[in-house]
Parts: sequence; C-alpha cells; structure tokens
Amino acid sequence: MNIHPVIIIWFLCAGPAWAALGAWGLPRLYRRKGLEDAPARFIGGMAGLTLGPLLLAPLWHFTPDLRRWYWSGGTGVLAAVELYGLFAFLNPNNLCVTNFGYVTDQVANGLTIGFIYALIAIGLTLIYSVQGVVSFAHGQFYMLGGYVSYYFLQLFMHVNPIVGIPVAGLATMIIGSAFERFFLRPMHQGQIERPGEYAILITFGLGFFLEYTVLAIVGPFSQKAPAFTDARVLTLGALTLLPNRLVAGAIGILLTLALLYLLHRTWLGKALRAVSMDKQAAAVVGINPLTMNTLSFGIGTMLAGMAGAALIPVFTWVPWVGGPAAVRSFVIIVLGGMGSVPGAFLGGLIIGLVEALGAGCYPDPSKGAAYKTAFGLIIFAAMLLLRPNGLFGRDT
Amino acid sequence: MLRNPRFVFPILAILALVLTACQPQVVTQTVEVPVIITATPQPAAEAETIRIGGVGPLSSPGYVVGGIAMQYTMNLAVKDINAKGGILGKQVELIFGDTEGLPERGTAVAERLINNEKVVAIVGEAHSAVGLAELEVAHKYGIPVVFAETWSDAITETGYPEVFRIAPASTMNSRASAEWLSALGKKTMVLIAENTDYGTGQATSDKKFHEELGIKILDTIFVEPNTTDFQPILARIKAMDPAPDVIRVAITGAASYNLEQQMVDLGLAPTEKTIGAASTDAMAPEFWKSVPNGNYYVFSYIGLPPSLYNDTTKHVAEEYKKAFNTEPASDALEAYDSVWIVADAIKRAGTTESKAVIAALEETDITLAQGRYWFKYTSKNPLPTDGSVAAYMWHQWPDPAILFMQYFEPNQAWQDAAVIWPPAYQTKGTSYIPFGTKP
Repeated sequence: MNIHPVIIIWFLCAGPAWAALGAWGLPRLYRRKGLEDAPARFIGGMAGLTLGPLLLAPLWHFTPDLRRWYWSGGTGVLAAVELYGLFAFLNPNNLCVTNFGYVTDQVANGLTIGFIYALIAIGLTLIYSVQGVVSFAHGQFYMLGGYVSYYFLQLFMHVNPIVGIPVAGLATMIIGSAFERFFLRPMHQGQIERPGEYAILITFGLGFFLEYTVLAIVGPFSQKAPAFTDARVLTLGALTLLPNRLVAGAIGILLTLALLYLLHRTWLGKALRAVSMDKQAAAVVGINPLTMNTLSFGIGTMLAGMAGAALIPVFTWVPWVGGPAAVRSFVIIVLGGMGSVPGAFLGGLIIGLVEALGAGCYPDPSKGAAYKTAFGLIIFAAMLLLRPNGLFGRDT
Repeated sequence: MLRNPRFVFPILAILALVLTACQPQVVTQTVEVPVIITATPQPAAEAETIRIGGVGPLSSPGYVVGGIAMQYTMNLAVKDINAKGGILGKQVELIFGDTEGLPERGTAVAERLINNEKVVAIVGEAHSAVGLAELEVAHKYGIPVVFAETWSDAITETGYPEVFRIAPASTMNSRASAEWLSALGKKTMVLIAENTDYGTGQATSDKKFHEELGIKILDTIFVEPNTTDFQPILARIKAMDPAPDVIRVAITGAASYNLEQQMVDLGLAPTEKTIGAASTDAMAPEFWKSVPNGNYYVFSYIGLPPSLYNDTTKHVAEEYKKAFNTEPASDALEAYDSVWIVADAIKRAGTTESKAVIAALEETDITLAQGRYWFKYTSKNPLPTDGSVAAYMWHQWPDPAILFMQYFEPNQAWQDAAVIWPPAYQTKGTSYIPFGTKP
C-alpha cells in the first residue's frame, strides 16, 4: 500500500501521536501547577492533532486558563477544518470536495435526522438525570408511540398524522408512569436488595415484554402512517429537502424547546431538577422525590413515544424498530454527558451529522453506507478518551 | 396486591396472552414467536411419528414475515401428508425451530433438532447466512437438508451430499436480470445490496452477468439490513451525471421499503430515465403502505404467476388466503414443497435412514406447488470436472421460474402486475412499461 507523503509529514508534525501526547501530558501539567485541568485533555489532544508541537509548546509554557469557551471551540473547529483539508487534498474528486450542493444536502439531512435522534435521547437522559436509572426499554417506548399513532390514525382516517403525536405521547406516558410506579418505586424506597442490577433487569424485561407483546398483537408486517404532507421533495436552490422529514425534525425542535421551558421556567421543572441534583435537599424543601421519579419516567417515555409518532409517517415501522434507536440513544447521551438535556440535544445533532457526512463522503461508496453507524462510534470513542464526562457532563 | 411487583408481571403477561387470543388467525401464528422449539419432546418408545425439522426466522433480526409464512405452509404440508395416510404407515410431525436470522442460532437449532428431536431431515430457511451455518451441522451428522428460500450460490457450492436446494441460486437471478436489461438496451446500473451473505453473493453474481452482457455496474453500495435512512447514499446516486439506467435493490424486509420510497421521493427511480428494480418483497401486501408512490417498480417473482397455478398451488393458495388473507409468496410455496419432497423421498426409500433418504432425494421427480422438481447434478451424474458447469448446480433444482413483474397502477395487487420477462410469460406483450404510461 502506498502512503501519500503528505500523510507521513502530517504524522510527524502533528496527527494522532502528538494528539495522544497532548491529551496525556497537558492535564498532568495543569494538575501539577494546581490549575483547573478538566478541559486540558480535550484541548491538549486537539492542539496536538492540528499543529503538534507548534501549539503544544506555547500551551505548555504559558498554561493559559483553558476554561474559556474559545479554547475548546477554537481547537475543535481547527481540527475539523484541518481534517477536512487533508481529506480534500487526498480525495480531490470526492463529491464532498467538488460538489457544494451535495455537501449542503448531506448536512441538511444530517441535521434533520439529528433533531429526531436528539428527541429520543432527551427522554432517556431525563430519566437518568432524575432517577439515576438507564432505561433499557426506551427504544420499545419509541416503537410503541409509533404504533399508537398508527392505529389512532387508522381509526380517524381524515386527520393529519400530527394529531397522532400527542395521543402517542399520552399513551406512552401513562404506560411509562404506571411501570415506574409499580416496578421502580419499590427500588427507590429501598425494598430491593440490589437496586443497580434490579433496574437494569426490570427495564430490560419491560423492553422484551413490550416488543413481543406488540409483535403478537400487530404481527411482523411493516406498517407506515400516511405522510404529513403530499409534497415529496422540496428544492431550495442547491438544497434538496424531504418535507416529511422536515416536519418530523421541526417537531423534534419544538418538543425540545417545550421540555427546556418546562424544566427551567415552571415549578414542576425546577422540582425535577432539584431532585436530580440532590434528593434529600429537595425533600427537605417539600418536593416528593418519588412523585418526581414517576413524573420523570413518564415524561421520558412520552418523549420517546412522540418521537416514534413523528417518525412513523417517514419510515417503515416494525416491532423491532426500537433496538437500533435505543443503542443510538445510549451513544448520544454518553456523548452529550449523562443526564444533560442540552448535551443530548447537541449529541443527537453531532451523531446525525457525522453519520450523514461519513456515509456520504467516505471514498468507497460500497463501504460508506455499511460503516454509517461506525462513524458515530468513532466520535463516541474519541469523546470518551478526551472528555470522559461528555460534552456537558457533570464532574463526578 | 398491586403494591407488590411480584404480582404485576404475571397479570400483565396473562393480559397480553388474552389480548393475543382475541386476534385473527395471523396472530395465533405469531404467538409461538418467543418459543424456540415448538413441539414437546416425546420419549423414544412413543416416537411413532416421522419427525421432520423445519427452520426459519420467527424473530428479528430475521425476515419474520417470511418465517411465519414458511412455518404455516410447512404445517399445512404435514397436515396434507397425514391426511393421505402419512408415510411408511406413520404420521409425520414437524418440529419447527426459530433461527432468528442469526447464523449462531441456526447452528444451535440444527444441533438441537438433530440430537434432541431426532429429526430425519431438515427443510426450510430464508437466510443464506443461517443456511450456511445449518448445512455444516447437517453435514456433520449426515442428515439431509432441503433449503427452500436461501439464494447464495455458496449453499450448494459446498458440494455436500446432504445439501439440496429448490430456491434459485443468486446467479440464476442475476442471469435473468442481465438478459432482461440487455434486451431493453440498458447500459448502466447501480446496485444497492444488504451486507449479508445473500446481498454480497447477489452483488458478485450481478456484477459478473450484467457486465458480460455490456451493462456497466457504476456502483455497488452495501448497507446494513436494518437501515432506515438511505438519503446519504441516494445523494451520491443523485449526483451521477448522466443518471444510471437502472437502480436494482437486493435488500429484504422493511429496509427495502424505506429505500424504495426514498428513491421515489428523491426522484431517482422509477422515472422516465431510470428503471427501479425493487426487491422481491415488493410483492407483499404491505409494500403499498410503505411505498405509496411505488408505481412502475419492477420486482422479481419466483414461480409461476397465478394464471398458471396447478392444482397443488391452488390448494396451498386457498388455505394460505384463509389464514393471511393474501396470496402466498414464493417462500411459502417453496416451504410447502420442501416438506413434500422429503416425505416423497422417505416413501420411495422405504426407510428414514439418512443415506437411503439422500439417495432417494437425488432421484426426486415430483410435481408440486412450484412445478416439477428434479436434481440434475447428483452422485450418479456428478458435476463435470472441467468447470463447464457452475459448482452451485450440485443438488440444485435447475428449473425455478424467475419472472420479472411490474406495477402499472397505484395500489395494484401483485397478481395483477404485468409479467414483463421472460417473453414466454408476458401478459401485456411488453418487456417494460415506460414510466407514466399504460400498457
């Protein structure tokens, strides 16, 4: 195999080896000097990756305050630009280099899908932040929401599929809250001997139960709700958009904004956040943590169900559609920081973008699509190495 | 009582079962889904029946729709055989194992069927990758296996004496497609295939046969079988100038519907310029629900069209319609036939002893739902050593009918779609209905 000389030069003057050195060395230096070292690993890695010793040396010498947003943002953007430049240099005929409309199409699609990914993941992260429980049934609530909306729309043929979304949200919220009330509350009340394992097993069991119950009732045949709009494609200059996905993406944004409003501007939201920060302190000021647990699970499953209802007019639905969605949600919430709603939102966008650009730009088309999920996991692995708490993770 | 979680789960489970029992017939089939082996083992002394093992996917990630259809028709075949007095004076019993579309499950189920259930032969399967795992087990124990719906050439290329196949090999499908497109004067094609033994096998043989007849494969794109969003790869095809003459899909199940609708949405195929060659699953009734704009898609169909059904096909179709309210697809018919082929061989062998059954299978000459079955290359007529006949022809039924059909009206039933290839079976006198026209 021929290795392009530019790659060799890049490896010597910058690249992964310098990135590893920066990510390993800089936090140690900051810690030794008694400075805040949390962002040093990411910035050290990015600085090494982009400019190697040229940027690492001044950082080493001056040890500036890295908590400023422009350090993380600047080195991150610089790394993205440099990697793209390198890619363009090595693949001058790639569509992602030569065809601007192609790139904007991929970005637009990646963002649209990302908003929906984010919506599914936000529910999961909300449950985790309040209860400390990772729900392994989350994907199945997403699936269930789609089916509830589908059968509701079958009953009322003339309504727009948007109407199915609140119906699905209500149904999944009721099921989710009931499950929490009867199965997870005993754990929070200390009635279960090994709560950690119990939470995993019980939510896993619920996931199986929901999937196979739905399979037994609706059968394995693919279903799809009527489209939001009859318009099949929307062309804006160089941009090609699929209107039904746009609607689903817009619903994702609206629901996220509504959730943020609830969490930050209402008493209920503040109570939820208080419980997520400190259960005992919240109880002291008159908030019942058990009620908040049930509520958080209900809202989390409601968001998953609404995401399903928003997507069943876009994608074909089968009872096992929840599995891949759940796996992606786990990746997103770890990427964004476990328990962080803005983190899950940003994580969803990043995964959507990376998957779309990875599948669209990888030089060999036969592999690009097959590796689609892997591109997201590369970012995920890099994030775990450089910022183990995720984008907005709390320090532990 | 409900305060104690121990009681709630059983109650929910009972509720689910009750709900399930209230559903129509299709559903009672699916109740068996979580069960791996759906028959109770009997003590050896009581084994007064001849046991045939059935394999197929009843759970995701397998092709569950196909697996359920196959399980139904296999049971139907057993019922029909027993109604005619069974074989060798004994009743036949089908032990069905759910292989979930996973090779490792295939191995486990085949081991269990052979060792615990003492089956005399194995029939069925809808996934090549799983079939390739199962045939190794069958070969190890010398138990005959008749594959109903696994296309990969590699299945019969093994050359194992135990392995028979009545589905077409991928190569046969590729050759038919190449002949059809070449007759239409098409020059370029993009293939989108699933990343499985079926998809990669189909891609290899497609490339060979289409390029031999002057049709250039511009790109072969592999995707994971559960992909939902195809826009990143379709954007690549959209950027091609000029557009390809044909886009061919070698993906099964729900993913193929997502792809086909997104191809229509993005204006890629079917269009005036580009032929859309959908997957065989485009004949399923749920196609139109998932691909409401899928008019003018072409799909391949294995077997004879309903107008040419024989009495057996009519009988299976009638029973199948009672259960599923739709025409059986080729996988269901092949599964029915596979049970009969084994029963016929046991009857002629006069014993259930494996070697005798295999020898009898090689002599098969019986007309069933999909036509007259026989095997050309057997131990008595081995494959020529000079390579003039492809290795997959070993124990391969040489005559499966591969039809290309095309929808020309929205929401059309597949039986009403036009047969466009081969010319002998054409129903509308044309090899292709141009986009936007009526035949």
